[in-house]
Amino acid sequence: MAKGRSQRDDYTTPLRRLLTAVLCLCLAAVFIVWRIDSPRVERFRAQVADQVVPSMDWAMVPVTAAINLVRDFQSYQRLAEQNRELRSELRQMRAWKEAALQLEQENARLLDFNNVRLDPQLTYITGVVMADSGSPFRQSVLLNVGSRDGVHDGWAAMDGIGLVGRISGTGRDTARVILLTDAASAVPAAIQPSGQTALVTGDNSAAPVLSFLENPDLVRPGDRVISSGDGAVFPAGLLIGQVAKDRSGRMRVRLSADYSRLEFLRVLRHHGTEVIQDPGGLVGAAPGDPVPQPRPEGLGDGSAEGTAEAGNG
Amino acid sequence: MANTSAARIWTMRLTFPALALLIMFFHLLPLNTEPRFWAPPDFLLLLAMTWSLRRPDFVPALSIALVMLLSDFLFQRPPGLLALLAVLACEYLKGRAAPQRESTFASEWLAAGVILTGVFTLNRLVLVVFGVEQAPLSLTVIQIVMTILAYPLAVWCSQTILGVRKLSPSEAETLMSRR
Repeated sequence: MAKGRSQRDDYTTPLRRLLTAVLCLCLAAVFIVWRIDSPRVERFRAQVADQVVPSMDWAMVPVTAAINLVRDFQSYQRLAEQNRELRSELRQMRAWKEAALQLEQENARLLDFNNVRLDPQLTYITGVVMADSGSPFRQSVLLNVGSRDGVHDGWAAMDGIGLVGRISGTGRDTARVILLTDAASAVPAAIQPSGQTALVTGDNSAAPVLSFLENPDLVRPGDRVISSGDGAVFPAGLLIGQVAKDRSGRMRVRLSADYSRLEFLRVLRHHGTEVIQDPGGLVGAAPGDPVPQPRPEGLGDGSAEGTAEAGNG
Repeated sequence: MANTSAARIWTMRLTFPALALLIMFFHLLPLNTEPRFWAPPDFLLLLAMTWSLRRPDFVPALSIALVMLLSDFLFQRPPGLLALLAVLACEYLKGRAAPQRESTFASEWLAAGVILTGVFTLNRLVLVVFGVEQAPLSLTVIQIVMTILAYPLAVWCSQTILGVRKLSPSEAETLMSRR
């Protein structure tokens, strides 16, 4: 450094060096402001993406389509091999289809017995994936729906089958979805059939880790993982995936959503979970009275269990 | 003399952000939404560094800073940090540009490799100090290696396609005298 300085003097004038120093200070200030007041800077970031990315969209769509076309064309080269794989898969699927049909009938019958109404408030907006995070270190995608369409931070995004991530950062025309695989993503989940709760924490690998499991012995590979709705961020009961054990013995989630090609995502409108505050007329206890009233005769054991589970989930 | 005319310098000054936007565009294409086990080279940083070494007058610090800050915002990185490190690295390289005019490519590659490693390591260290969540270390290491390996490619592209070459001493003389 010291040796080069004399030669550098004729190239960079002192004024220029001063301006560079000011520039560096500005950049450092941006970083420190981001660290101190992250939400404000993240909102600004969402606005930057909202300005820049839609203006590239006219070119992004055809280029993406062209590259995917070339990729598809490459896959024709191993058509015969694929055909054989598909045939064997189809045989397996036929067996599964039978099982699914039977389950569907059984499910419909049971729903009919219980007179269940599926949540009518759960509607969705479908958005097209415009861009990904652009960096291998972050896992997120940009959707072409934004605050103009009423999208809010924290809403869940699914593909047709499973949970994909949650909205984090909305611009006017765009919204960013932080995927479950991102290192900053943590979603409260419940594992069925054991009913254990855990956090599905992304770590930049294809299968997020199940952390904060209360009793790992009760959880087996193959168990279903669904969102638990704790923290009132997500609606409960969205399918996330299946439990799997990795080579080092950690519990992970094999995600149900197809992450290899995210093209359309459903953003679920969620207006918060209702909180039950007063005991209500049925129980009728005076506030502060610890002794519960005897249960009315008409309520059977089964329905009592059902409501308890619904409250938990 | 065409290499030092004002028109040429200003064209290339505008070409740099345009190329950077093109690189960002290809990064943002939603082709691969699965987590990857490898990381591609950081072409933006490579472009800024090779140009700083060859023609410092094509890449003013302000343009490097703006381009890197925009990429920080678009690529979900902590804003400002990598931009700051890139500006510092490029300014250092610009200082080396004059004395390095006769040196071999191998030594230039080595110097660039050291600086790239320094930039990414410092970036990670600062993030650790500030307690920011990070991707696994292996990804960063892969990115450093890939970026260093891609350095000759970046040099070749800038030299043959865009004509960003080191100035001959006589050209440097005319450039200096006009200042």
